[in-house]
Amino acid sequence: MNAPIPYQIHDQNCWLSPQRAIFWENQSTLILSDTHYGKTGHFRKNGIGVPQAVFQEDMQRMVELLGFFKPERMVVVGDLFHSAANLELDVFAKWRRDFEQMEFLLVKGNHDILGEHWYQANQIRVQKERFQIGPFQFAHDPMAANDAPDGGFLFSGHLHPGVSLTGMVKQNLHFPCFYFSKTSCILPAFSKFSGTATVKKKKDNTIFAIVDHQLIEIVR
Amino acid sequence: MLQESRGYGVISQWLEKKDFHPFEFQEQAWGQMMHGHSGLVNAPTGCGKTFSVFLGTLIQVINEHPKNYQTVAPGNLQLLWITPLRALAKDIGRAMEAVLTELQIPWRVGIRNGDTSTSERQKQKRKVPEILIITPESLHLLLAQKDCSAVFAQLRWIAVDEWHELMGSKRGVQVELAITRLIGMQVKKKNKISVWGISATIGNLEEAKQVLLAPIKEGGCIIRAKIDKKIEVHSIIPDEISEYPWAGHLGIKLAEKLIPIIEASNSSLIFINTRGMSETWYQTILNVAPQLAGAIALHHGSIEHELRAWVEDALHAQKLKAVVCTASLDLGVDFRPVDTVIQVGSPKGVARFLQRAGRSGHGPGEISRLYFLPTHSLELVEAAALKQAILENKIESKDPLLLCFDVLIQYLCTLAVGEGFDDNTILKEIRTSYCFADITDEEWKEVIMHITQGGIALNQYDEYHKVVLDNGLYKVINRKIAMRHRMHIGTIVSDAMLKVKFLGGGYIGVIEEYFISRLDPGDVFTLAGRNLELVMIKDMDVLVRKSSAKKSIVPSWNGGRMSLTANLGAILRETFNKALVDETEIEIRSLRHLFQTQATLSKIPRANELLIEQIESKDGYHLLVYPFEGRQVHEAMSAILAFRIAQITPISFSIAMNDYGFELLSDQPIPVDDSNVQDLFKTDNLFADIQKSINSAEMSKRKFRDIAVIGGLIFQGFPGEHKKARHLQSSAALLYKVFEEYEPNNILFRQAFKELMEQQMEEHRLRAALDRMYHSHILLCFPKQLTPLSFPIVVDGLNRNSLSSEKLEDRVRKMQEQLSKS
Repeated sequence: MNAPIPYQIHDQNCWLSPQRAIFWENQSTLILSDTHYGKTGHFRKNGIGVPQAVFQEDMQRMVELLGFFKPERMVVVGDLFHSAANLELDVFAKWRRDFEQMEFLLVKGNHDILGEHWYQANQIRVQKERFQIGPFQFAHDPMAANDAPDGGFLFSGHLHPGVSLTGMVKQNLHFPCFYFSKTSCILPAFSKFSGTATVKKKKDNTIFAIVDHQLIEIVR
Repeated sequence: MLQESRGYGVISQWLEKKDFHPFEFQEQAWGQMMHGHSGLVNAPTGCGKTFSVFLGTLIQVINEHPKNYQTVAPGNLQLLWITPLRALAKDIGRAMEAVLTELQIPWRVGIRNGDTSTSERQKQKRKVPEILIITPESLHLLLAQKDCSAVFAQLRWIAVDEWHELMGSKRGVQVELAITRLIGMQVKKKNKISVWGISATIGNLEEAKQVLLAPIKEGGCIIRAKIDKKIEVHSIIPDEISEYPWAGHLGIKLAEKLIPIIEASNSSLIFINTRGMSETWYQTILNVAPQLAGAIALHHGSIEHELRAWVEDALHAQKLKAVVCTASLDLGVDFRPVDTVIQVGSPKGVARFLQRAGRSGHGPGEISRLYFLPTHSLELVEAAALKQAILENKIESKDPLLLCFDVLIQYLCTLAVGEGFDDNTILKEIRTSYCFADITDEEWKEVIMHITQGGIALNQYDEYHKVVLDNGLYKVINRKIAMRHRMHIGTIVSDAMLKVKFLGGGYIGVIEEYFISRLDPGDVFTLAGRNLELVMIKDMDVLVRKSSAKKSIVPSWNGGRMSLTANLGAILRETFNKALVDETEIEIRSLRHLFQTQATLSKIPRANELLIEQIESKDGYHLLVYPFEGRQVHEAMSAILAFRIAQITPISFSIAMNDYGFELLSDQPIPVDDSNVQDLFKTDNLFADIQKSINSAEMSKRKFRDIAVIGGLIFQGFPGEHKKARHLQSSAALLYKVFEEYEPNNILFRQAFKELMEQQMEEHRLRAALDRMYHSHILLCFPKQLTPLSFPIVVDGLNRNSLSSEKLEDRVRKMQEQLSKS
């Protein structure tokens, strides 16, 4: 696993991982977004033969992160599941039982359409709206939660941010990224079966591009 | 003998009454048809090619039923008439109906295509008409019906119109597959089907016939109409030609020169290469000649079909002075009043040029008159080359496609949605087609696996479901999947299209989602020649209101850009021999200044020479190569060259090309000089280099998009269904990435490579081209500034590819450094 890089938010110690997650050390919390579990299964069930290996890799990467950071709590800022339940979610449920002791929180995203009982059965605490732990707040859609939290800091997803780099001779590269402002962070989509929406580097923003297996800060 | 037959007597009597006389080729075709033979009729539009086949069927029917052909109708489908264009169906149907009425033959003619109403479909289902005019897509839709074999039970003739247009495309493959099925359905009966193709002239007519007739295992004959058409080509020469080709100006400033031509003509067709530009031209002509308002119209594939139909009717009725159109009017019935054709920009090939010229002046002895308006001055050289090609009768061939697994996968699902299929029977059938004659057992297994298991082997939590084996037959049993498949039948891939409607109702046309997604409410854009203000997007509809704004955005449709054919490229190279030497032709003469600039700064490449220019500018280091082989070949060749140079040193290139040459652009000096330049074109290790350069330049990405749609991986969503299907949508780029990383062996993913290897990177052709270049006299020049030849590539070069041998992180770091310096 490639080394995460330390990143201080207010007085809190965080680690950004090129595996598309953030570890919040003070609270031993792993933060992910847009995992879209069940997406390949949903496609396949409907006759579209996308490789299921994407799902396997996504699950595996999550397990690796848990092994590395050993968090006591996991927060997914929306779109944990892609659509209706299918067998891939059974795999997820099985995994959940293996990590039973870990607290699991989900801010509902637009894709999270499963019934309440499903979350309950799998010990996932669902938050319909934005919620807070210590100085940090969590929401799914950064636009819907546009009012800047007073003195707080907001983690969100939904957007699947990506950054485009243009080189001198009309070269063009595109990477998924972490997108920070002074008061917020938009996480990259955790699922590799997801597109990106281009965000632009502005003066007050910090962007970390995920280049292969490492993070590179985009300065301009 | 044909002449002694009763049917011939009836038909020739009827023709005589109308003062028509059959052409020799028509009689030949009738004679062949009388004996149940199959074949290909080669005739230009507007000289009775429809009758050559249609009347042949009637003669046969009259011969067989001399007493009661006027009283008894077969009551089921006899003649299936496949046509590539919906617009054609109506006119052909009308012409057939007129003949049937006059001969008092009680046959019915049905039309089946995307425009056919549900009630009409129901009617056809209850009582199948004797003649059905159909598009390839609708034919496959018929095959997706549960009771389709009943429809075709008595079928006797299949006619394929405009076969030259279909062959070489995936629609052509659809036709091939459908024919194997229609013939396969008759195997157990005595019924014998004749297949007739109708084709304009192409370089490989014999092969065209073989492809079409492959399933009936019969040689068949080619019947040629010996009709000599005189063609006159006039170039429109700008008053002033600057030393540089006006890249990007697109010739709009020559619009004024069109007005006298339009006014002096009875009726003109103005062919524009892209839909977007046709909108611009329509507006421009109205601006420079407001008196033409109401007398000119616009016609392209994204305009609502009733409007298009109106334009076509108005053309027939001589109500229009001119129609600005795209390839949408390339084919089809003739508009008698049209006596002038104006081609704006390069037609890219001799065959297309002739076809368009042929849309004017049809009467016997009449001359087809065509005006060529260049969109950049170098295109005048192309005009000269085209004239030469017509003189020498050098017409392109169309290469048939082989082993299109995406089309096959779609076809098998179509059959599975319909009556279901037995894999042995269907494998035997498809092997009779030209396209799939060589499919291996292994490949067939993979295809079946793809539709039944979704590619790779199952794991315990996989729920892939599409085609299932049900009582020995492969079937689709899930109704939702069947419905979605039916909506996706077809091989013409376009971006997700949205319907454009007025707020108060009224449908205007369709527009690509990609374009509209970049607009904000209040923005004004142009469609169907109208300025429209975007109000909102609701579901799959774009709601607009009329706008009087002067400025508007012209949509770009991401339609494929045509490439210059290799044939025209070769003639073009010859034509450059004339520059500054032989100025008999006005096109060459008028470019004197431009050629002089080129010669002063660099050199003019002659036919046996290869010009390479290295130029340093503020953008970086440019290496320009001019093989004149057409955009497609250049894309392949540039990737190979870039790959070979990148082996010398770690370097990143951005690559641009046009039909004349290509550009490699780098931020560091490109290590090419006299000592190594020739080696770049050597043909050793070519095969390996081709494969590696395809990978590095990610060239198969664009191919994959179409394949993914045809093969059913991309669900585009349809009006009303939009919301429900949202969870099944993904982009081609994302799928490409996912397959590349997780399942590069997938049959559809491999197909993208295969198509590249066959169509663009074909080893044999590339080897010949590289060999020619290797043995040419290489002129390596170092101009101080951009030359006339390089200018359009550097300024306008679209569809940039990239290729790099640097590490990804290094590239990112370098980009960052470059940016902080600037």
